[in-house]
Amino acid sequence: MSKDKFVFIEQTGEDNEAIRPSLTYWQDAWRRLKKNKLSMMGIAVVILIILFGTIGPSFTEFSYSDQINEYKNLPPILDMYELDGRYFHVSNDYNVFLVAEDGTIMERLNLDPLKRDMINKIYTYELGEEEVILDFSYNLLPNKMGYDYDYTLELDGEVAKYAALTKLNKLNPFGTDSLGRDLLTRVMYGARISLLVAFVATMVNLFIGVVYGSIAGYEGGRVDNIMMRIVDIINSIPLVLYVILLMVWFRGGGLTNIIIALSSVYWVSMARLVRGQMLSLKEQEFVLAAEVMGVSKSKIIFRHLIPNAMGPIIVSIAMMIPSAVFTESFLSFIGLGVSAPMASWGTLANNALSGLTTYPYQLFFPALAIAFTMLAFNFIGDGLRDALDPRLRKG
Amino acid sequence: MKSFYLKRIVSMLITIILITTLTFTMMHSIPGGPFTRERPVPPEIMRALNAKYNLDDPLPIQYLNYMKGLVTFDLGPSYSKIGTSVNDLIISGFPASAKIGLIASALIVVLGIPLGVISALKQNSPLDYFVMFLATIGITVPSFVIATVIIYFFAGKLGWIPSFGLNTPASYIGPVVALAGYSLSFVTRLTRSSMLEVLRQDYIVTARANGIKEFTVIMKHAVRNALIPVVTYIGPMIAAILTGSFVIEKIFAIPGIGRHFVESVSNRDYTTIMGITVFYAVFYLIMIFLVDVAYALIDPRIKLKGDK
Repeated sequence: MSKDKFVFIEQTGEDNEAIRPSLTYWQDAWRRLKKNKLSMMGIAVVILIILFGTIGPSFTEFSYSDQINEYKNLPPILDMYELDGRYFHVSNDYNVFLVAEDGTIMERLNLDPLKRDMINKIYTYELGEEEVILDFSYNLLPNKMGYDYDYTLELDGEVAKYAALTKLNKLNPFGTDSLGRDLLTRVMYGARISLLVAFVATMVNLFIGVVYGSIAGYEGGRVDNIMMRIVDIINSIPLVLYVILLMVWFRGGGLTNIIIALSSVYWVSMARLVRGQMLSLKEQEFVLAAEVMGVSKSKIIFRHLIPNAMGPIIVSIAMMIPSAVFTESFLSFIGLGVSAPMASWGTLANNALSGLTTYPYQLFFPALAIAFTMLAFNFIGDGLRDALDPRLRKG
Repeated sequence: MKSFYLKRIVSMLITIILITTLTFTMMHSIPGGPFTRERPVPPEIMRALNAKYNLDDPLPIQYLNYMKGLVTFDLGPSYSKIGTSVNDLIISGFPASAKIGLIASALIVVLGIPLGVISALKQNSPLDYFVMFLATIGITVPSFVIATVIIYFFAGKLGWIPSFGLNTPASYIGPVVALAGYSLSFVTRLTRSSMLEVLRQDYIVTARANGIKEFTVIMKHAVRNALIPVVTYIGPMIAAILTGSFVIEKIFAIPGIGRHFVESVSNRDYTTIMGITVFYAVFYLIMIFLVDVAYALIDPRIKLKGDK
């Protein structure tokens, strides 16, 4: 056939444009994940919480262990009474504070023990040369019931019955705890500890679980049988119980101990998951090809099998982190957490319990932090599952 | 079928022996005895205490004694509560824990499954969103926070329910809600997703095509199959709930096992920690075994597997 029978087709750009750029598995998953608004919100919240915990403390004037005994149990929202152009706040434990108009606490008024009239429930405080009289007998003494206010403040004959202003506490935006420590700073440090425990424990679980599971799954036979019986036994023990036992064994708290306790117990579910993946993956041709070429077992596991099982593993990690946060706060809550003055969210919540009815805000912020973190990780986990494994997509 | 049960019972016994051995070793490898205090105890008293509780025997003998006691259901004396045995503690605590646990489990089954089914049937309706919103909150807020919020608002501010103890019917509300919260939400979500999965199956389409009433399709064909994963979760969950939640009992001051356990942890009362762990584990294993039996009866596929 002669050459002139062939004509070159003129190349146009149009044909190429119609073809979508080829995406790798991860690019595709990321594309799907980006479409999931809740997951993106979750990622944003997690990043915010990490920033909150890492660089947050450098923006506050306090350290997590600074105790200012004068400023204990201060709420995040101050009710301010106006007297003679100055503002006063009466705390729930009957301390009177001089407050600037913008909500910054200036000083605590000194209370002379001799001027503390417990029977009539009238305290007299010193403000320089002047005297501020707090009468909190209303609705407490039998002959003074039925008032719609609980206390009055008196300065130079001027009496304030109702709060004139309600301002956010400038100095301690989250309030202070029963030892006068700034709660905002403590919640920030709590984020550090809670997240550190969660991440490290999850990473250790990931490592043990993945290696254990893939060896069991790939080897199969007797090895698999024995390894999985061990997992079954660990799995049939209530895990929280064993974490508590381990914590007792380690003699109580300490960051490292919590991490060790959490990571020595929680890897079993990961091991099961990975083993299941291995069982189906190892039957595929690419493994056979690798075996035929004489690739070593460990290389097959780490280079060929594990990367292919990464999807479900990542989903499982995203679900594991909140459960580690949860378990850590639970352990701290029953008194096996980090030791004072360090604090995790669980310890903060536990400390707040005793004064709950009077100072509910002390529980509110750590509880909110835990709930937000759990929510964010749950959303991320749901989104990752949908993105990485479309077969499992719900609804 | 018989060999299946036999195998399960044998593996259960092995697990129990392993758990007790592990617990025993852990508790005895803690440096210092159970009577080590911040202020040193005089050596004579220490010796007398050790002799009283047979702590001066060699460890293997102590182990054998403990196992012997275990076979006769004797968990030994409590170290910190003089004069009471661990058995007494468990017997005194279990009824309260079990009562709350039973009510909470019933609530989860009675409320969680129907809610999940309904929200799956009305997928993407406001009702579905509302139920899923509540369920998400239930999963993300820790039980101790739910419990304290209940105490703060319903017991403190509103005064509707007592804040501690189990003396009136109303006082059950708080602990039961706090205890059931997480599992209730989980069961609702699980039922919903499993129901959605089942509703897409071909046999549902076939059933509808055959003109079976919608109600029958849902109840007989869909729900029954959707419940299989739910039953798997509910089994161990009931065991965990019945044996009591440490935190809930601590917050509501309920004299259950969980509280004894938390107390024994902070008192370093090793026999009690050991005894309650073993009790929990055995109870848990028995519950899982019972669920497996029930499960094998419900799901024909599992029955076949057991026969082989």
